[in-house]
Amino acid sequence: MAQAGKGKLNYRCPSCFMRDLDIDMFYDKDKKEYYCLRCQYTGTEEDVKAKNEMARFRYRRLLDRITDFD
Amino acid sequence: MDSFILNIVHRPEMVPEYAEKVTGQGKAEDIGRKALLTESLDIFKLQQAIAHRNGLKTTIQMTYASLFNDEAVAIAKDHRAKYGDEIALTLLGLPCKEFREKYKTKDFCIWMFSMEDKKSIVDDVFGKFRERFGFYPESTGSYYMDAALINYIKAKYPSVKCAVATCWEEGPKAYHTCNNSWYTLMDGGPWNPWIPSKQNTHAPAASEEEDSGIVAIPHLSRDLLACYDGNGSNFGTHPQNVLRGMIYKDGQYPYLYNLIDQYRHLAKFNRGYSYNMMFVGPGWMNKMGRWEAPYELLVKSYEDGMAYYGKLKKEGALRDLTMSEFADYYRANKTYAQPECALWKDILYGSEKQLFWYSDPYMRVGVSMDQGGAVFDLRPYVAKLDWPVGIGTKHVQDASYPFLIQEKYRAGYFTHYAGEGTIRSAKVRYGGEEVDLCLCRTKAKFSEEGNVRILTLDPVEIEFRDLTVKLQTRIIFEEGSSAIKFERRVLGMSDPGAEIEIEEYMVACYGTTEYPEDMTGIKLGIAGPESRELAYEYRCREESVAGATASYAIVPQVGTKVSLVPAQAGAGGDRAAACYVKEGYAFSPMFTLGMTKKLRNKEVFVSWLRLEKAS
Repeated sequence: MAQAGKGKLNYRCPSCFMRDLDIDMFYDKDKKEYYCLRCQYTGTEEDVKAKNEMARFRYRRLLDRITDFD
Repeated sequence: MDSFILNIVHRPEMVPEYAEKVTGQGKAEDIGRKALLTESLDIFKLQQAIAHRNGLKTTIQMTYASLFNDEAVAIAKDHRAKYGDEIALTLLGLPCKEFREKYKTKDFCIWMFSMEDKKSIVDDVFGKFRERFGFYPESTGSYYMDAALINYIKAKYPSVKCAVATCWEEGPKAYHTCNNSWYTLMDGGPWNPWIPSKQNTHAPAASEEEDSGIVAIPHLSRDLLACYDGNGSNFGTHPQNVLRGMIYKDGQYPYLYNLIDQYRHLAKFNRGYSYNMMFVGPGWMNKMGRWEAPYELLVKSYEDGMAYYGKLKKEGALRDLTMSEFADYYRANKTYAQPECALWKDILYGSEKQLFWYSDPYMRVGVSMDQGGAVFDLRPYVAKLDWPVGIGTKHVQDASYPFLIQEKYRAGYFTHYAGEGTIRSAKVRYGGEEVDLCLCRTKAKFSEEGNVRILTLDPVEIEFRDLTVKLQTRIIFEEGSSAIKFERRVLGMSDPGAEIEIEEYMVACYGTTEYPEDMTGIKLGIAGPESRELAYEYRCREESVAGATASYAIVPQVGTKVSLVPAQAGAGGDRAAACYVKEGYAFSPMFTLGMTKKLRNKEVFVSWLRLEKAS
């Protein structure tokens, strides 16, 4: 099994991101998956993207342009 | 003052932070790689072009590495002549072949070097700058500039009048976010420009004698709510930080504009003045992309951010100044005593929480309206703490200004099972029931009367089994007083003849990180005709005296005396306030100062939280 490397984009672990940790993931080309060195997350690129969407749940005003600051 | 001022800073960093470590993954380390140097300079050129295209001038902070690059030097000269940019000098971006060969280290944060090395590096970098440009710079900076460093620079290079000197609430939270590998521990400073004291950079100068001689600006303008809890590096006027936080969808990031606009809104609390700083290192716009964001989105976000600033400028709503121009403006328009105020609301999470931040030469204070006006953060700037940092000192990395109250690192109102967390709030009692104002969510309005800033909270209703009380809090800051005045006014009661008890309290300790410190050496006392004092020994002791004039703690570790002082202190009779102190214990390494007072309908209880330097 060859060593892992970075994927085409530098994806972070979505599970760690949700606990305020920025951990770059590495890509296992044999298993076609990203994996986290710190926690137990593994996933395909599609799964990473889906989980990143989930991570945005806390930004309830993500798309709001706010004009009233009082 | 009636201006929204913008400082844009670019640095030609020949070996961008992150680029070698992140995008160079899989390659043996070589910080002299030609491709790296070329890309770095290209990014700098692109950043400059984007700013100029939007009619904005910049401060070009030359790095040590860039002073060895003829093209970078030529660009800086050309842009000064063409666009009015300022050529300045940063102490970031030290890593390069020349630096490593000379100093035999991979350290790159100027405040972490020994004092001897700081002086040597400063002389080297300033000398090289003069050699290339024929003059010494007027502006400099790093992520943090400790007081000894600033004092040295100002004494030796008096032309310097402005510096990037801290990054707001970049501390343990940033450290954790970077998997405990990013050592920028600098919590506790001001969020907007200030004049640092000679004794401690974070603590603003109270007078000419304390004036370090420079105007400090923060690295970025950061979200005053989001940065206090989450990773600060997601929530600032740094477009790629916003991408880092995944605060975008389909290439849209209204949060960036909301953040800029909320900073503009702060003019309302600062006599018409507001400020923004944007400082994006080139590593954030590299061709490999940055985390999930491709290069195209990184660049687009920078273009969009600058375009928004450019639009505001065209509308006459923004003044772009270089750093040295800003220093002149600031000194012409601000007094030492004038505080920085920010009534800040959540613009991201939809919680509608509202905070108030206050900073002056004596204190930095955070007040949460979501907790009934509780003080959740308190830094005793009055101590002007001598806190040397760098190799050879007690604080090699930790440049944070210590807190007495920090609700995230020391719990706040809610604790698990036992003990107490740091907070300054009040409890109301009636008929054996007790309600803490921390559980009374409300909002506040800001007003100003002469040299007094007033936070008037909307009244809250406190429901007991047999009584409803309508209570209003006002929190008052008087310039130069080194004190916060609290007023609790009973506006009404369902039984107008009832009498309630109010307990003003402050749970505090000291520290800079999440971990407890040794409380030994702290003295707790009650002042007045019947004074008491006890040395902290984790023995859970309590003392209380009716008719006392104050309860206090002397915390020698942070050179501070903090007191809670009731109005009409020492008044006799059974309606006089009683002052108390509570010692903590090992599982709750805190102390509590407080006072209790009986209140009837329409009565008001006034008290002060006072900070003094303890010698």
